[in-house]
This record gives sequence, C-alpha cells and structure tokens, in this order.
Amino acid sequence: MFKYIFKRVYQLIIVFFLFLITSYVLFDSIPGNAFQNLLLNPDLPPEAYEQVIKLYGLDKPLSERVFLYIQNFLQGDFGYSYKHYPKTPIELISQRLPRTLMLFAMVNIIAFYTGFLIGKVLAWRRGSKSETWITVTSVFSYTIFYPWFALMMLWFFGYKLDWLPIGKFLYPEKWYDAPFDSDVVFISMIQFTAIVSIIQILVYIYTRNIESLSMRRNARFGSFIIITLASLFYWNTGELLIQKPYAMDIAYHMILPIFTVTVVAFAGTALLTRTTMMEVMKDDFILTARAKGLSQKRIRDRHAARNALLPVVTSFIFTIVTIIDGSVLTETIFSWPGMGQLILQSVLEEDIPVAMASFSFIGVFALVAHFIADISYAYLDPRIRIQSQG
Amino acid sequence: MKNQKNIAKEIRRKAIKKNWRLFRRSKLGMIGLYIVIFFLFLTILQPILFITGVWNKGVYDPVVGYSEQFQEFLVVECPKEYPTEKYDERSDCPGRTEVNIKTLFYSDAQVGETIIQNLQPAPPSRQHILGTDSLGRDVFSQIMEGSQVAFVLGLLSATLGVGISTILGTIAAFFGGRIDAYLMRQSDLVLMLPTLPLLFIISAFAELKIWHLAVVLGIIGGLGGSVITIKSQALQVKVKPFVDSARITGGSRMNILFSHVLPNVAPLALLFMVFSVTGAIASESVLSFLGLLNIDMSWGLMIYLAQVEGFIFSGMKFWWLILPAGLSVTFLTGGFYLVGRGLDEVFNPRLRDR
Repeated sequence: MFKYIFKRVYQLIIVFFLFLITSYVLFDSIPGNAFQNLLLNPDLPPEAYEQVIKLYGLDKPLSERVFLYIQNFLQGDFGYSYKHYPKTPIELISQRLPRTLMLFAMVNIIAFYTGFLIGKVLAWRRGSKSETWITVTSVFSYTIFYPWFALMMLWFFGYKLDWLPIGKFLYPEKWYDAPFDSDVVFISMIQFTAIVSIIQILVYIYTRNIESLSMRRNARFGSFIIITLASLFYWNTGELLIQKPYAMDIAYHMILPIFTVTVVAFAGTALLTRTTMMEVMKDDFILTARAKGLSQKRIRDRHAARNALLPVVTSFIFTIVTIIDGSVLTETIFSWPGMGQLILQSVLEEDIPVAMASFSFIGVFALVAHFIADISYAYLDPRIRIQSQG
Repeated sequence: MKNQKNIAKEIRRKAIKKNWRLFRRSKLGMIGLYIVIFFLFLTILQPILFITGVWNKGVYDPVVGYSEQFQEFLVVECPKEYPTEKYDERSDCPGRTEVNIKTLFYSDAQVGETIIQNLQPAPPSRQHILGTDSLGRDVFSQIMEGSQVAFVLGLLSATLGVGISTILGTIAAFFGGRIDAYLMRQSDLVLMLPTLPLLFIISAFAELKIWHLAVVLGIIGGLGGSVITIKSQALQVKVKPFVDSARITGGSRMNILFSHVLPNVAPLALLFMVFSVTGAIASESVLSFLGLLNIDMSWGLMIYLAQVEGFIFSGMKFWWLILPAGLSVTFLTGGFYLVGRGLDEVFNPRLRDR
C-alpha cells in the first residue's frame, strides 16, 4: 500500500510539472502580449515598448522563460501581475477567492440538500405520473442553456420586477463613507456563515439518533429558532452593528446569483439520487425492512436514502473541485468579481503570472482531490489493490 | 460457416429487438427520442425546402437572406412624463404600430398621419413563422441552420471523443502496468486544465470553425475523465470467467481485447456518447454566446446577437428573438439526456425492474 502511495505521489509531481509547462506554452501561444497596446500610444517611442518587454523578460526564448518560471515557482515566487502592477498574483487571488468560495459553497450546499430530498421522493414514487413530470422538469432545469437562463432571470427579477440588483458585488454609492474595506465586511460575513453552518451540522449529527420522528423534528426546529435568535444578537453587538448595513448590501447582491445557480445545480443531484436510490431499493435488506413491518417513511429515509448517500457525497466532493472552473460563466454574467473573472481577464489580457498562478491553484486542488479519490478507491476495491502490488 | 454467420445475425437481431422493447418501456427515454427526432426533422427540412423551391434562397437564407416587411405606422409624439392615459411606462411608447416623430428624420410626416415603413425585427407572420431578426433574416430558418450545426458538432465530437476514450480505457485496463499509469496521468493532466479558459485560449490562437471545434471538444472529452470510467468498467469485464476461458483456449491478446472486452464495454461507451453530445452542444452555445467562434449561424450566436443588440432586456416585446434559440438548446440537450437515461435503464440490469 505504501509503495503504491509513494508511486502515485512521484507520478503526481511529474504530472504537475507537465501541467505547468503545458499551461505556460498555451498562454505563450496566444498571439501578441500584455504590453502590445503600448505600441498604439503615439506619445510613446517604440523604444519604450522594447524596454518594457526587456524589463519583464518577455524577449527571452520560450524554453528559458518556462525554466525560469518553474525555478521561481519552486521558490514560492509568482512574480508580479502585468496589468495590476504592484500587486502579486497571490494578493489578487487571496482577495478574489473568498468571494467565489462563499457564493458557490452556499449554492452547492443548498443545491445538494434540496436535490437529495427531491431525488429521494422521486425514486420512491417510481412509475407514477408526478414522478415523470418532476423528472422531466428537473432534466430540463439541468440541461437548460445556462447563460440564457441567467440573463432571463436578470431581466425578470432585476429589471421587470426590480426586486434585486442587476449583477455586481455592491452598490458603490452606499460605500462612499464606509469606515472599512468591503473585504473586511465580507470576511466577517464568511466567519458568521461558517460558524452557523458548523453549529447546524453539529445539531444535525446530534439529533440524528433520536428515535421518534416527531421529537427529532421538534428538536431541530427548536435549535433552528435558537440559532436565528443568536445570530440576530450577534449582528447587533459591538463593531458588527456598524458593519451590518454594509453586510446587508453584499448579501442583497448575492441572492440572485445563488438562486439562479441553485435552480440549475439541484437537478443534477436529484437525478443522481434517483438513480442510486432505485438501485438500492432492489437490494434484499429493503425487502427485509418491509417484512419487519417498518413504516414506508422510515424505510425510505433510514434504509434506502442512507445507502444512496455515498455516490452523492462523492459527486459533491468532485463538484467542489470544479467550482472555480464553473464560476467563470456565472461571474461574467452577474459581474461578480471573483476567481472566474480573474482567470477570464488574465487569459484575455495575457497577464501570464496571474493566469499561471490561478491555473496552478486549480491544478493543485484537482490533483489532490483525484489523489485522495484514487487512494480510497484502491483501499476499497480489492482488484485495484492487488494490481498495485503486483 | 455461412450457417454460423446467419445464426449470429439472428442473435444480434433478437438482442436489438429485446433492447428496443426495454427502451420503449421507459417513458422518459421515449420523450427524449421524440424531441431528438423532431430536431432531426427540422435539420432535414431546410435543405428540402430550398431544393424544392418552396423557400427562395434570397429571402430565407439564414445568414444572407433579407425580407422586406412594410407596415403602416401611426406617427405620434411621445409625452415627457409617464404614466399618461395611453402609456404606462416610457418603454411603451412608441407602441407596436406607432413611430415616434422625434426619431423620424427622413420624412416630413405630421403627428396623426400614417406612413409606410420597413419594420425589422418583424413579428411572426404567415410568411415568417417565427418573425425576422434585426437584419431581416428569417428566425425559423436560423433555428433550422442552428440545429444542423448542433447535430454535426454534437455527433462528430461525441463519436471522436468516445472512440478515443473507449480504446484508451480498454487498453489501460487490459495491459496495465506502465501503459495504464501513463494513460491515467495523461487524463489527470487533461482534467486539471479548466475547460472554459482552455477553450478561450484555443479560440485566441486558432480560428475555430465547426469542424475544428468538434475535433477540439472530442479530443478534450476523449482524453479526460471518461477514460477513467471506461477503464474501471473494462477492469470489471476483464476478471469475468469468459475472458479467462478465452485465454485458456488460446485466444491471442488482440483477439481477446477486440472480440471479448471491447463489445462488453460498448454499452457504457454508447451511454457516454449520448451524454457527451449534450456537453458538446452546450459548449458550442456557450462559446458562440461569448462571441469566440467563427461560425455563420448557430443557436448560441442568435442569443449573442439578441443580447448585443439589446433585445434581451426589452423583455417579451421581442420574444421571437429570445425564446426560440434558448429553448432549442435546452430542449435538444435535454432530449439527448433523456435518451441517455432510457439507454441507462436498458443496459444497467440493476435498474431494469423493481
């Protein structure tokens, strides 16, 4: 087993360097470079352009630049952004990443929870008319042409009904005399959300073993009310009282993107849950549970759904890996200044340091996730385990 | 020998018949199949209409056609403040058969008179079932052209991708060792590259037409995650008793690979193909929606034009520019997805019956 892990890590490192080289060559193969618009300025002599190119080392041959980049990468030096000059890629990413993670973490949690609930009911009602129609609807919300749908939602809620803002992160006019940065407020929002969700999960785990269904429901409802009251108290004390209106502004801008992406994203989970539930429901232990005379609801929730949860959790983990990749389109349409927009802009403007840094960030994320998945597969599946030894 | 061939043919026909019966039993699969057939019909209909001369190419061509839409307009003067008796909002004036005198530069008509003017985009009429766009081109013909693009692109890239991934996945499972390690790391590498930014980069240095895009999407899809899934399926087939018995009776490695392992992986590959058609159509639409492709006409491009020209935020006043293209993408991808679901119920024995 250790030999297998060692071999995998060794391969992983090679793949990562290949990935770095491939991405650098890809960025370099885009015609032109980041400073070409200096040539359009009639006030600047052509020598200035040459000077800038030389300053950033873009006149060196490709192989030398790739080698230099990897050398610097190993020393933890990602260079400076070409377009936002004094800032480093790390600064830019650490500013943008929380926004993307907050938005899509909320979307994924809501989408997976509702999708799991709906899929459970769908599988249980297999063959009925309502099942067919709900499935067809969720298939179309899964395959709907996303940019079009997002624009229609923007038009309907932002323009026609005028309930929600059209894109953007905040209203600038509200922030003119704000005593702090928007990032400060956003980080305290993230802290709050993280604390609340951890408490919620703890409550869920703790009440899971209460046998009576009605008592469990009451316990969960009570804890929900307590959490709501506590969070109201939390936001009305100390420094957070000043931050509250600004936090509300950001939260107000988050509603529409979260809602839109959730509508598209929940259907995938619902369909996956439906399939796995239908597979599980043919197993013998469901028949045994029926024979024991357990109630339908109990069989569905305790016996079938529990066992169908594993593939859903796996797909949840893999969805988290693709968050940044998937955020490009959403953030472009809703003008949400997160990682997706950063990647898109840096690719289009050929800001190679920023693009390389964000690509390698995504790459490390994906590699680690695949590595963990592979190792656990190898551990669980005897066929692969034996093969890796021989 | 000939008799043996006939028996094999008979068995195959019976298997197809049985699978078709199983497929027909799933309602969702049939709904999907009807949707796909409907779009296939639209695809074939357009060339037929052009060849038989029902449609004049100068009027109905999806890219360069032009159709004049003369209509009577009442000249009005829009009020400065809203709401008034006639109009509720600023966007209501001028109405559909009215023209604002302030925007009438080329005519000296007075308020209250009627003038005849060319109207584009024109609403649906008997001549143009789904109206025309702002350049006077027939929207219905554009939808048909878009469905041609979608079918060509989707089927081509899916066939290419699934062909690559089936062959590579089976080879990885069958030979194992170094080849397996190399192929798996290669698909890791492809999976690490974020898809959409990668396509942006490719569209920056290569002129992407439909064929090129199909090849690019096919290769990216074929080298990526599907190799891993097909490999795991092939691993399960490899340990089945009939493969062992083929080996004991002296079948060569190539023979076992092509006549025993590959046919048993094929159902999963077919399933993958149907699902990757969905992905290919969606990526084409996204890329043309962002204006990065060099394609004459497609559904994504229609939405792109509607957005760039500002019709999307005019609401349902110009619904024929917004709804047909978006719904076509949604329905065709949904149709392929449902067909895939139906096939899944046929091939996956655990799903077949309760």
